[in-house]
Amino acid sequence: MQLQNRIAHISVFTAATVSLFVIESLIPRPVPGIRLGLANIFILLVLLNYGYKEALLVGILKSVIGSIVIGRLFTPSFLLSISGTIVSVTIMGIAVRYGRGLSLMGISILGAESHIITQVLIISVLFLGKASLSFLLPPFVLLSLITGSITGISAYWLYTKLERKVEVA
Amino acid sequence: MLKLQSNNRYRPLKIGDFVIILIFLSALFFIPRMEGKKVRVIVDKEKEFIYPLNEDRILKIEGKIGIIMIEIKDGRVRVIESTCPLKICMKMGWIKNKGEQIVCVPNRILIRIEGEQFDAITE
Repeated sequence: MQLQNRIAHISVFTAATVSLFVIESLIPRPVPGIRLGLANIFILLVLLNYGYKEALLVGILKSVIGSIVIGRLFTPSFLLSISGTIVSVTIMGIAVRYGRGLSLMGISILGAESHIITQVLIISVLFLGKASLSFLLPPFVLLSLITGSITGISAYWLYTKLERKVEVA
Repeated sequence: MLKLQSNNRYRPLKIGDFVIILIFLSALFFIPRMEGKKVRVIVDKEKEFIYPLNEDRILKIEGKIGIIMIEIKDGRVRVIESTCPLKICMKMGWIKNKGEQIVCVPNRILIRIEGEQFDAITE
């Protein structure tokens, strides 16, 4: 693929990812720390179609630009967001590369879980103390199972839709 | 023009997905149990008694208008006898989970179950 093409594609995906990230941050949520992780849909698509480096780039850009837009740059929540993203993109990259028995659903769940586990680890070590780990982790892991499944289904749906469009274009 | 890979490698739900779902579902077993560890009896905001829940015993505590009998058995607590007119505290029955309480208003007695750790965060 040509460089210009590549840049254009990555930009489109970055824009989509940041939009979802910002829209999602506008939705009020009952418990802090629980998000659907809709932006992960596009990161997953980038991972499948362009590769790990591009996905990592989109993920980091999502955290930085998204945090600027919602005004949380360099706050603790930005730290959590970017570290969670880096770890989850890496885990999903490994899953895409070596996980033959996994569908988008499983890869998305892995991404969501690694994202939240990283965040809980950081929160526990930096802010609450290690004792909080045992009662924070289980509920968050279970909730991420649900949100990861939802984004996995969405990603699969979008993946098949975009696939069909390509044949026409 | 978006060029996407086309293969059906990612059709929904393969075996590996179930394995991953099962692994993370096992977090269910690690959810902290809400069972209490000790029972705190507060009389008229002045006197406080704390007893562990794992030792069976019967307490006789003097309240404002009479003696109240509290039974601790098998990690549960109930009021078995009270001198108050309506006997609401007796009708409350057994309590065992963290945060549950029995109140006897005429006697000014509050019986509350507490956990051992994390109280500072959760309360």
